[in-house]
This record gives sequence, structure tokens and C-alpha cells, in this order.
Amino acid sequence: MKVANRLRIALLALAAVPLVGAADLVLVPVAGGANDPYAAPVGRIVQSITEYTSWPTRQNPVTLCVVGPAAHAERLDDLRLADGRLIERRTVALTGFAPAACDALYIGRVAMPDMRILTAQARGRGVLTIAEADPDCRSQAMFCLLFPPQAVTFRMNIDAIARSGLKVDPRVLRISQGGR
Amino acid sequence: MALRRIFGMSSSAAQSAALPTLAQILGRVHLRLILFAVALAAASLVVSGGIVIRNYAQRNLDLIARTVSYTVEPAVVFGDADAIREGLVSVAAVGGVDRVEVRDPAGRVLAHWQHSHAELHSGIEDVANGVIWPDPSRAAIQRGDVVIGQVRVYGNSEGLLRYILAGLIIALSCLGLTVLATRILAQRLQKDVIGPLDHVADVAHSVRSDRAFEKRVPSSGIAEIDRFGQDFNALLAELQGWHAGLTSENAELARRATHDSLSGLGNRVLFEQTLGDAIGSSVRSGVSFAVLYLDVDHFKDINDRHGHECGDAALIAVAERLRQSIRHVDHAFRLGGDEFAVVLAPFYNRAHVDAVSARIDKSMERPFRLPNGLFATSTLSIGVAVYPDDGVSPQDLLRRADAEMYLRKRGRRSAGFEGIENA
Repeated sequence: MKVANRLRIALLALAAVPLVGAADLVLVPVAGGANDPYAAPVGRIVQSITEYTSWPTRQNPVTLCVVGPAAHAERLDDLRLADGRLIERRTVALTGFAPAACDALYIGRVAMPDMRILTAQARGRGVLTIAEADPDCRSQAMFCLLFPPQAVTFRMNIDAIARSGLKVDPRVLRISQGGR
Repeated sequence: MALRRIFGMSSSAAQSAALPTLAQILGRVHLRLILFAVALAAASLVVSGGIVIRNYAQRNLDLIARTVSYTVEPAVVFGDADAIREGLVSVAAVGGVDRVEVRDPAGRVLAHWQHSHAELHSGIEDVANGVIWPDPSRAAIQRGDVVIGQVRVYGNSEGLLRYILAGLIIALSCLGLTVLATRILAQRLQKDVIGPLDHVADVAHSVRSDRAFEKRVPSSGIAEIDRFGQDFNALLAELQGWHAGLTSENAELARRATHDSLSGLGNRVLFEQTLGDAIGSSVRSGVSFAVLYLDVDHFKDINDRHGHECGDAALIAVAERLRQSIRHVDHAFRLGGDEFAVVLAPFYNRAHVDAVSARIDKSMERPFRLPNGLFATSTLSIGVAVYPDDGVSPQDLLRRADAEMYLRKRGRRSAGFEGIENA
């Protein structure tokens, strides 16, 4: 009961959060600082993607591994899903990634070959992959974040999703870039 | 109409002209019936159809609201206003929807879509929208047990208004068609019902105006009218009988007025009439004619000696012989008592008059039988007046003939009446 109330408040707050839309954010710094305007939207997108992804077995909590130097990952802690599950953030070294230990993988700013290695490791193991710095989505990550001015969106790699061993709600495709 | 002749017989012409015909009454009743039926059918169809359509549209709106809710749910979770708008447009931008809103739990509108009022938009539609869809269809957007937004779908009455309009147009067309059909049916009914009645009316009219009592109403195909026709025919037959009796009685009365009942010859009235006619036709043709004045000699003796019965018999005998002595174009009359007259038809020769006189004299030579069994003979004194030689007016002619007759009578006073004993 207490958890549900907290969750409700959190979600209400979440729904009320306007998208990054301030006029002074036309020029966006590549590397986020302590007041990174992209941090909150990224957190929300990661949470929402997790929301609409279903694992073969229900994960509780959902372990989110962050690999490499991430620019907008400040707000990935203490995320909570609508059904009350917690998203547990864990920072993992580039070489320390083990698919069995992670339900989701947030790939920071690493080189493309490394990204490929990570996604190859994750493929078919039931790991949700989100790449922060792959706007063309060539790393075989399932989701690739995009940072156009004033907003954060994402791209989906259908092929990667098909091979991931996970199910993603097809309605998410509508929200992704190029999915409309 | 012939019917008007029957029903309007006693009333004035103006009144009968104002009376409606049976066909008009039938047509009016038909029209009212049809108007009522079509209006009732159209109204009930439009109302029940409208209710059914509204209910389906309501369900459709509920379905749209739920579908929008399902479609935009991820977009609301992601917080993507564009995606919310696209999602709701893809589902809700259909006919029958006036406005769709997606609101967050605080009531703020995240995205909305409004039906464009490019065509057929008017205040009527707004009013109708408010009346037909006072409340929007609502559907909550949920993620798990948590409500994260609400969809509101406002109905559009345009489709319903179109349905009602189409219903009205169809009802009006049906009305036109049925009115036309009513006309045709009424005409047929008129032919079937009023035709036979018109037969009756025609017969009644010709009976009244032409005294054609021999006419009868033909049998019609309708029981009531047939019964009426039969009674009418029976009435006509009675009328015909009465009329025939009356006619013959009148003829008899007319004959009695102008004929002598004893001798059967024309009386003085007919004589004067015939004399006048003869003068008229002689004036035109210029041909002479003659009047004979006859008196039975010693008629008083017959009466005195043998009684009035024998006198009457003598008069009948004289009349009979007069009738036999003249041609059928001549006319004999008994003017009263023992006085007789004959109007001879126009002739070209005076000798003809003398021949008739001689024929009469000769016919009187034969004895006639009296009721007491005796036979008797009698003579007639004849005075002749010829038009225009002896006068041109009836009085002159009669006076002249009378005077001549008296001359003759005085000359043969001695002859007298002779009774003969029955052998």
C-alpha cells in the first residue's frame, strides 16, 4: 500500500514533467554536467522503454547496467516502474559486462567496435540494450538515443529487437524516430 | 356530376354547386389517411432510427475513446506530445467525432484534435451537438493500476443530422408518390363506386326530364348499390304504372270534354274549334270548305210518342248514319238536342257538297230500330254554308247554314216522322 502510493505520486510527477522545451536550450553541450538538461528526459525514456519491455521471466528488480562514460545518465537511479518494480542501476566496466547479471544495458560513449562487442554479447540473452551515442543506430543496440535540440528521442533497431529474446510493445515503435 | 342532380334536386343551383362530390370526399379522406400514415411512419422511423444510430454512435465514441487511450498510452508514458497527437489523430479523426482531448490527471490538455467545420457547419450543428452529446465519452489511460491520463471524445451530430435530413427527404418523396397513388386509387374507386351511382342518377334525370319511365338502372357489381338500384327500378315500375293510368284517364277526360256522350260525335266545343281550324287552313290555302247544319225533322214527335229512350235511339241512329255518310277527312258533330253539324274538308267543286247532302238523305231512308221493337225512319233538314262564299267568320257561316236549314225544313214540314209497325 505504501509502495503503491509512493509510486502513484512518482508517476503523477512523471506525467506532469514537461518535455525539455525551454527556449534557452537550443545549444546543447555534448557532455552533461551536474545540471544536464537531458538527464531527466533520458531517465524518463529509459524508464518508459523498460516499462514496455517484457522479459521472459518477470525481473524484480530490473538491473540496469551502465557501461562506459555516459553523458546523460545522472537520473537513472531509483527509477520505478508502474507495477512497482524498481530499476536498479549498476555501473559496469566495459570489459566487465556479463549478460546474466544485467537485464538492461545502457551503453555510454564508447567506440563503435566496443559497442558492437557489447551488443553481440547481449544478443539473444534477454538483455535490453540502449545506446547513448549511436545516432545512426549501427551498433546493433535495440534502442539508440537521439538528442535533437530541445528534446530527447530514440531510434529502434527492429532487427536487434527481434534477435534480443525480449518483447517490446509495438506501440513504442510509434514514438520512436522514423517509426511514424 | 350526375349525382349532384339527384342530391341537389330540391336545393338551389348555387347550393348544389357548393356541395362536394363523392369523388372529392373520397379523395380528401384518402389524402388525410395517407398523410397521417406516412407522417406517422416517417416520424417513427426517423425517431427510432435516430435513437438506434445515436446508441451505435455512442458505442462508437466509447470505442474510439478506449482505442485512443490504448494507442496514446505509451506516448503519455514517454511524455511525447507529438506522439500523443499523432496517435489520437490516427484513431479519432473519423466522422462522428467532433473533438478529442487527452488530458493528464491534473486536467491539463496534453493534445487535442478538433473536427474541421469546413462544410455544413452552423449554429444548428453546435446546438445539436450539445443536445445529442451533452457529455463526452471518457476513457482513462492507465499504466498498471495508475491512471496517467484521460481521453475525452465529443460526438459530432453531423451524421445524425444528415440521417434526419435524408429521412425527411425520403418521407417527402414517399408522400409525393403515395399522394399520386392515392389519386389513381381514388379515381379507380370513383369509377367502381360512383359509376353505378351515376347510372342511377342518369336514369333518374331522364325519368324526370324526359318522362322516360321505361328506363331501368343496370345491375352494378356492388351489393348495396345493386339493392338500391333494384328498389329504384321497382319504384320506377310503379311510377310507370301510375303515369300510364294517369295518361289514359287524362285522355278520356279530354275526349269527354270535347265529345257527346250519347252519340260519340264531337260536341259544340270541338265543333267550334274544328270550324276555327278549318277557316284558318282555308285562309292559308285559299281552298273552299263547307259547313252542314242538320236538324232531325219532327224529333219532338218521336220523344212524345215513344219516350225519351226512343228519342235517344233515334239520335244514335242519326249520328251513326252521318258518320257513315262522310269521308274520314270530314267531321260530324252533335251540337245539342236534335241538331247536328258537319265540317267538310276543303273541296274544289260545289257538287261535292251536294253529293254529301244527297248521301246523307239517302242514308236516312233506311228505317232504324227503336228500343220498343218498332222500326222508324226520319229525315234531316240540311242547311249548307260555304266558306268564303257565304261568310268568312264562324258566326256568319253558322247563321247562313242555320237559315238555309230552316228554309228547307219549312218546305218539307208535311213529310214528318213516320213510325212503322213492326211486321
